Amino acid sequence: MAANYWASTQRRHWQFSRETLSEIRQQLEDEERALVQQYPLPDRRLLSIFFNQQLGKLGKKMNVRQQALATAQVYIRRFYSKVEIRRTNPYLVLATALYLACKMEECPQHIRMVVSEARQQWPADFIISDVSKLGECEFYLISEMNSQLIIHHPYRTLHEFQGTLSMAQDDISLAWSIINDHYLTDLPLLVPPHVVAVTAMFLALTLKPTQTGLQAVASTAVSLNSVSPMSKELPGTTPGPPNTQQKKVQHLVSWLAEGEIDIKAVVECSQEIISLYDIWEQYNEKTCKEQIVRFVKARGLDK
Amino acid sequence: MVQRDLALLEKHGVTSLDDLPPEVQAVREGHVAQSDAFAYGLLPADSQDARKLPPNNGYTSKVRVLDRYKVIGFISSGTYGRVYKAVGVNEQSGEFAIKKFKPDKEGEMIQYTGISQSACREMALCSELSHPNMIHLVEIILEDKCIFMVFEYAEHDLLQIIQHHIQPTRHPIPASAIKSILFQLLSGLLYLHTNWVLHRDLKPANIMVTSKGEVRIGDLGLARLFYKPLHNLFSGDKVVVTIWYRAPELLLGSRHYTPAIDLWAVGCIFAELLSLRPIFKGEEAKMDSKKTVPFQKNQMQKIVEILGMPTKAKWPGLVHQPEFTQLQSISSAVREASQGNTGLESWYWNTLKSTGYPDSPPSANPGAQGLDLLAKLLEYDPAKRLTAEQALQHPYFTANGDRVTANCFEGMTTQYPHRRVSAEDNDIRTSSLPGTKRGGLPDDSLTGRPTKRMKE
Repeated sequence: MAANYWASTQRRHWQFSRETLSEIRQQLEDEERALVQQYPLPDRRLLSIFFNQQLGKLGKKMNVRQQALATAQVYIRRFYSKVEIRRTNPYLVLATALYLACKMEECPQHIRMVVSEARQQWPADFIISDVSKLGECEFYLISEMNSQLIIHHPYRTLHEFQGTLSMAQDDISLAWSIINDHYLTDLPLLVPPHVVAVTAMFLALTLKPTQTGLQAVASTAVSLNSVSPMSKELPGTTPGPPNTQQKKVQHLVSWLAEGEIDIKAVVECSQEIISLYDIWEQYNEKTCKEQIVRFVKARGLDK
Repeated sequence: MVQRDLALLEKHGVTSLDDLPPEVQAVREGHVAQSDAFAYGLLPADSQDARKLPPNNGYTSKVRVLDRYKVIGFISSGTYGRVYKAVGVNEQSGEFAIKKFKPDKEGEMIQYTGISQSACREMALCSELSHPNMIHLVEIILEDKCIFMVFEYAEHDLLQIIQHHIQPTRHPIPASAIKSILFQLLSGLLYLHTNWVLHRDLKPANIMVTSKGEVRIGDLGLARLFYKPLHNLFSGDKVVVTIWYRAPELLLGSRHYTPAIDLWAVGCIFAELLSLRPIFKGEEAKMDSKKTVPFQKNQMQKIVEILGMPTKAKWPGLVHQPEFTQLQSISSAVREASQGNTGLESWYWNTLKSTGYPDSPPSANPGAQGLDLLAKLLEYDPAKRLTAEQALQHPYFTANGDRVTANCFEGMTTQYPHRRVSAEDNDIRTSSLPGTKRGGLPDDSLTGRPTKRMKE
């Protein structure tokens, strides 16, 4: 159902346990062992950072809203859970996912516009000017996703909660960016959107970064990672938050007590996001690009 | 501090939201386009090979329409494409309606040109939604640059039922049947609205009825989500709802319309079931070459003739409607009003009399409660118009101690004719799509019914 996450296809067909998801991926890789060995790729999260940056650049030119970018990211993740990436031209998949996401989020872009922007954005030989390639890839995407195209995002939960929790604008903005970042991980395929929203609020309140932003968050990761996952501890007492901040956290916690949020899931989700910030430091755009270009060119996937 | 609070939560066994039973668990669990198992394996051998191909080597469907269905004839067509009747072969059994979306043609060659937004919405929404009063989607097949949506087959629709009752002479649709139809229609609509879906094209032809008398809302081609849209609804689709069923706020150019537009259409359909002709049968002003949306003066006139002129007192938002000033050009003469009755009251009682509803027993007549419900659905102010939930609570449904039947044909002797299916055109794979025609049944254009919607 469109507004009810519990009955949605997202929950029924696109929410996996970590084990199932890794089995699905393992199976895909096993079927393509030679390919996988021949063309190594960076960590999935690093690859996601690359995809997201490319998508962001493409979207910016067409003034695409964040929610449509998020939908496109989920489409890409779903698609690559069923199709081996080395069998595709990722640039074409990115552009197609964005084109489809814009239609589904009710901010449609003309297919010609998407193709021409994509050609400008990326070395023109990656995207053929003929719109039919993108149209064909759209069939492929929809088919692999079983026409299940409606995505429930954490933004909505954040929006609904911010009033209840009277969060400051700064905290909301930070929570919003943390939600943006979670699309770089597997979390969209692992946890319900409201858990991500709650996690983002938690992190926004407890890991309040200084001027250095991401850096501050990443450094905190160490303290959280040292905590055993099963001890259910949350990064509440990390670098001595000011008193007011502590009150906000308390408020959030007591509010959570009234609701029925899966605290364990929130803890795991926090760790996933913090480890993303950790690995982010290894990100190298050039490496990602080169590794993608290698198999696309070698296999003629750009033709 | 925080840890302690959290530990406390744990100790008191804070239930996970994940454990909550879904509020409305889908009645038919298999109600999705294709199962994952299907996509992951269980495919014909040759399709398995096709699956291995990357998109640059061409997309090939894993499933072939003709491997699973035998097309037995053509049902209808519209701007979207055509609908065929089919029967299942191999593991599929039963009857189906297959909606084939027309691909755009560039020259003589069919090309991938991007799927229309309307087809995207319909595919996504039908895959997501599941309710006994919604048409049931069986699967979607993307093959040969075409989209095939396979639905359960419904033998009748309200348009066909209405037409049956004017031939050879006018005879009323039994009051109990109308009550059941309306109740089922509102139940389906409540489900849609609860899920933030606006239908935006309710009309008799889009409301199917199965041979068991179950009402199914169909054609979600114009439906869309209205939860916090990124843009206002108007900027997306300039024109929605077939003209005769279009709510006054739409006619007056409202930018931020609400689910109330669907309830207006329900009111119009209720009236049409009673009178066997559209209540507000206006003529559509065509869009000019600059694609500016014209004021639908004639349609507004038809409404005013029966309901009287809308007033600021009764509809405070009226003066803020973009086309408010256009109302001045409309004659405020109410055609039907007489003897102290409002126009709608006169229309209603005259209609019941002329269609031939008997005065007794009371259950055979839609009665005063029917009028009250109709008036509250055809309320000018969208904020005051009944919601689907309120309408379902209306005493009309419980008047005379009646119960609403789940089968709208219950107790009826009338046998409605089967849907006419033209066997001449049963080649679902042909790329040529001859003009808009409805197999056997009178064509929309022949009965003077307005065409569905603007082409995108």
